[in-house]
Amino acid sequence: MLIVDGRKWIKCHNLPSTFHPPISKGVIMSNEIWVFVEQQEGKVRKVTFELLSAGAEFSKKIGSPLAAILLGSGLQEVVKSLSPFADKIYLVDDPSLASYTSEAYSINMAPLIKEHPPVVLLGAATSTGRDLFPRLAMHLQTGYAPDCTGLAIEENGKLIAKRPLYGGKVFAEMVFSEARPQMATVRNNTFLINQNLNKSAQVIPISLQRDPSSFKKKVLGLEKAAGTKLDITEADIVVAAGRGIKAPENFKILEELADALNASVGTTRATVDEGWRDQKDQIGKSGKNISAKLYMAFGISGAIHHVLGIGTCKTVVAVDTDPNALIFNYADYGIVGDLFKIVPALTEELKKVFAADK
Amino acid sequence: MAAVAVGGDSDLLEVEMEIYVLVKQVPDPEAIIKVKSDSELEIENKYFTNFFDEIAVEAGLKMREKFGGKVTVLTVDNKKVDALRRGIAMGADDAIQITDPTLEGSDQFAIAKALAAYLKDKPFDLILTGRQAMDDDAGIVGPAVAELLGIPYVNMIIGLEMDDPKKELKVIREVEAGKEILSCTLPALFTCQKGLNNPRIPQVMNVMKAMKAQIKKLDLAAIGLSAAETGRQAAKMKVQKYLPPPKRPPVRMIKEDFPENVKILVKLLREESKVI
Repeated sequence: MLIVDGRKWIKCHNLPSTFHPPISKGVIMSNEIWVFVEQQEGKVRKVTFELLSAGAEFSKKIGSPLAAILLGSGLQEVVKSLSPFADKIYLVDDPSLASYTSEAYSINMAPLIKEHPPVVLLGAATSTGRDLFPRLAMHLQTGYAPDCTGLAIEENGKLIAKRPLYGGKVFAEMVFSEARPQMATVRNNTFLINQNLNKSAQVIPISLQRDPSSFKKKVLGLEKAAGTKLDITEADIVVAAGRGIKAPENFKILEELADALNASVGTTRATVDEGWRDQKDQIGKSGKNISAKLYMAFGISGAIHHVLGIGTCKTVVAVDTDPNALIFNYADYGIVGDLFKIVPALTEELKKVFAADK
Repeated sequence: MAAVAVGGDSDLLEVEMEIYVLVKQVPDPEAIIKVKSDSELEIENKYFTNFFDEIAVEAGLKMREKFGGKVTVLTVDNKKVDALRRGIAMGADDAIQITDPTLEGSDQFAIAKALAAYLKDKPFDLILTGRQAMDDDAGIVGPAVAELLGIPYVNMIIGLEMDDPKKELKVIREVEAGKEILSCTLPALFTCQKGLNNPRIPQVMNVMKAMKAQIKKLDLAAIGLSAAETGRQAAKMKVQKYLPPPKRPPVRMIKEDFPENVKILVKLLREESKVI
């Protein structure tokens, strides 16, 4: 019990000491590898499959099962799509978990983890993963490496987590103390999905550990972003323009290129500060870090704020009128040219070659 | 929260909020940072107040302007207090530095323990901080403090609507699919990010005053935290090796004329890098 200014309120998170969750003994084993599943409206996020694919490698190496931990409501379809990717699925399916909150999810995961600590617990470095994992790690008194861009495991189960520091100016290989699980959140597109795992998961339903319905914090709703495009952190391909695009309405040509490539559209701090684009599409230090397979920058000079956000993209293309633009130092392919000519021509060329593929 | 009835009319209730903002001084985004050895970095001596923390200070000041009360800026650092001075210059009422030799080498969880140890018996209503510090970019301390204090938190907020601090308030946070709208009651902790507000630039006079402002220093004994909970030996994580960022091969400039260059680019993306 915490007393604040004369008001008494029960710690919303810590379980009462007398509370023992009914977990059937022998079902959850210690030293497994767990992946926290992110899903939305019955669809598993791509990054979860990436993590399960990496987890399968780790599980082979250290010889322990790979389990997906799945919380939510009405999850039959989700279970079906996960089944080929895991040995076990721990399923906490309850209407009170329909909306994610860190409080509801951590209080329902913590007892399971405490009873039989997995050796590794992986999650995605998303708005959910980076919300849940630090709270859970503090509760469990264990180590947590956020926003990793690489993971390796030794045969003795020791995880090595590679992560950027200072916005990506340097990287660090982090190792964990003896506390378990070793927790990490990982960026999108860090691992490839292995479609040939051919597992068939044993589904283990677990009852709600604690009903979060009385919690004060509640999700009221989601105001969905306009359009159907993936968030820039999730997209395989991101095309972006900076101030060089001259006016907000000119983003239309970039949207058309994005449609041809099934890409998402990013931007720089300058255009966000001008009010041309939404903050959620800003790449860079005060915006988002992206790990796209292909990133194309048009009319972007290459300020350090921006290029720090694209350091882990696989292939980078830069187009700018200034042959001395810094962005070329961070690109694989460069064209000195006018984006107003290049972008529409590129869209047409891509449409042509993609049509020829069919 | 102290409620002060104004003019005997119960509708006009002035609420005094206790607001704490967790701040940190970090290398400027322009600072050169290099790997010196496996275990050491070379950091250019160019620091600024973590940008996201300034947004948190601004949010705190706005709440104070609306409801009255006090904004205290708080840092855990043995050397750098400029973030506290920035907070004062922006308009914070009080500044507190938690400093102790045994904190050296602490991880984010130990920093959170120090902050929570200080805050636990304070009459806080609202705790604010940045979504992450622009040095370790971890985003652990805010959520960990909330966990230790047993209060709800909302991460990465871009909107905060509060009409009455004693009732439910509305916060908006950015998620991949759009904007998530949540309700919550105080006390709570929010981590702030760009889009929430534009931090004010302090006036020169206030900057001068902040230079001379008194900063309260507290050590571990003063906040009631054991040295065993902090420092290198308590850390849950350690750096095994620093690495330079992965280097890209030198750029290949496509020098052919338009529109040939576009055709070549598409060919390279398909046949060489195989990304489309």
